[in-house]
Amino acid sequence: MSSSTVGGLAKERRLHPAGMLLSALRTVRRWLGVAAFPGVVALINGEFGMRVLLLVLLGVTLLGVLSAVWGVLSWRATTYRVSGGAFHLKRGVFQKSERSLPLDHVQSVSTVQGVVQRLFGVVEVRIEAAGGGGEPEISLPALSISTARTLREELTSARQASLDTFEEAAATVLRRLSVQDLLLAGLTSGQIGVATSVVFGASQAFDRLLSRDLAQRISEIILPRTVYAILLFVLGVALFAWVLAILGTVLAHTSFTLSRSADGKYLCIKRGLLKRHEATVPLARIQAIKIIEGVLRQPFGLAALRVESAGFGAEEGVSTTLFPLLPRKEVETLLRAAAPRFAAPLDDLEPLPARARRRYALRATLPVLLVSTLLAVFLFPWGFITLLPTLPAALYGLLRYRAAGHKLVDERLILRFRHLARTTVVVPGKRLQSRGYSISPLQRRKGLATLEVEVASGRGGAAFRLTDVEDSQAANLIERLGSNTAATEV
Amino acid sequence: MRAEPEERLDPRAKLLWRLTGVLQSVPILVGGAFASYLLVRQAPVYLAVLPLLGALGVAVLSVFVLPTLLWRRWRYEIRPFEVDLQRGLLRVTRTLVPMARVQHVDTRRGPLQRRLGLSTVVFYTAAGPNEIPQLAQKTAAEVRDRIAELTQSRDEL
Repeated sequence: MSSSTVGGLAKERRLHPAGMLLSALRTVRRWLGVAAFPGVVALINGEFGMRVLLLVLLGVTLLGVLSAVWGVLSWRATTYRVSGGAFHLKRGVFQKSERSLPLDHVQSVSTVQGVVQRLFGVVEVRIEAAGGGGEPEISLPALSISTARTLREELTSARQASLDTFEEAAATVLRRLSVQDLLLAGLTSGQIGVATSVVFGASQAFDRLLSRDLAQRISEIILPRTVYAILLFVLGVALFAWVLAILGTVLAHTSFTLSRSADGKYLCIKRGLLKRHEATVPLARIQAIKIIEGVLRQPFGLAALRVESAGFGAEEGVSTTLFPLLPRKEVETLLRAAAPRFAAPLDDLEPLPARARRRYALRATLPVLLVSTLLAVFLFPWGFITLLPTLPAALYGLLRYRAAGHKLVDERLILRFRHLARTTVVVPGKRLQSRGYSISPLQRRKGLATLEVEVASGRGGAAFRLTDVEDSQAANLIERLGSNTAATEV
Repeated sequence: MRAEPEERLDPRAKLLWRLTGVLQSVPILVGGAFASYLLVRQAPVYLAVLPLLGALGVAVLSVFVLPTLLWRRWRYEIRPFEVDLQRGLLRVTRTLVPMARVQHVDTRRGPLQRRLGLSTVVFYTAAGPNEIPQLAQKTAAEVRDRIAELTQSRDEL
């Protein structure tokens, strides 16, 4: 990049003109969102006369015009520049605000391209800042693709003081998600639970808003009168939720591509069907890697990869997904290519001592047993049915015991535990913010301890625990991790 | 296994925890007394006094017993490469924080602490704060400066 472009960027710059439209659309969408549901309900109930309809049309037009004016004004008020080692953003139509972000506080720069943005060939640029108060993220809703690229270079190159870095072409693609795998990821995503609750929640809300008359009519048609009908209803909801979960995965993860920049300092993640996301994660910021084998995935030897990254946890969920689905056997190979500091053989972990087994089973069973015993006493004969879930609970405890394990290879601590999904965490010793163990009175009698380590993540930290490790092993692990940090630090 | 950390908190910590225990037991005692008062007309006396007795038990425990136990357990040590902490009443937790991870340190004093000449050292890593509570004011300042110094020399290397 020549110095003239750098000088050019130092001037106050505006967003792409499409920003006006985007801002207007956002305002319209927000107001319509408020009015939509009651409006639709009223429409269904047939409460609209011709005059009301005209009034509504007038309102909508007014809203459109005002939003457009607002869009132009806020576009004119928004300017940014990069100068003096900082990024400056001015905003606000009535209340002016100016924000400066020193360039070495920039954690990552990502771009998102929604459907409307794609029409105009613009992208939204999100700048993520390191810790501290205020918003963790600055968003520029509309920049042309080339401007976005220059801005990104400008923002990220300052830190490494070399300007010829982020060449898109030179980045090596490490792995792409095939269509087959995408569908498989959707099928096994295990977000069925979430989706089901959403579906049930929506049906509840709908129920409340519809006039009672209509609700009754509908419920007479579809409401189950027999056990089979109930089953069918639940099955239907579950199926619908499943389809939703698949759709969600497809929308978020279509053509998921993980690549590594030429200088090997950044990982680049591109994904999304309608909304294109493009994020750069600095390798130096990654604190830990999680290999998650969901309940539906583990039997097929499949896993998802996620990163725990400092200053990158502002947006939960997919943003921290490094790769959504791959065979467990290939995890190590991919990590070796993408983030070599985290690559380690994931098998042959040290299991927990046999005396921990009973504690795991009991810990899972006791709460269930307590509740069901109370129920059994109070609702005398029928309450005993509630004793049934203790069996699966005990089984779950045993599965948790079997999954648990730990290992220390090449200064990398590997912990494995199960919270429904089996999760393996890889943390280099140098990334640990603190390490330790705790011993409860019951554990002391059995010579067991709970291993506890902390890494930086997002704005706070993330803690990983492994319960019931042999106490001498826990102490030994803590000691060995310490000798490593001390040795590498000197 | 490594030996316990060497340093203990200031003995006045027990007094401070007793005082806070007294303050915390006041609402508990009031609640217990009120419950007993409500019960006394509807239940036999031996049942009605139970809430009050329970509250008394909690109060005695938190004023006379727990502070000593807590103090006996709490230990710390500042080593060149790490801070070693041990604490906990029933569940004993041992934590090692590498000096290289410490971002900044400060001392903090509440109103009660100020009266007793005590101070809390708080040091932060990227994963959040860690505390060494109830040190004599002078010791706290020394500990704070020592941690600051050690983290600085790590940075220079």
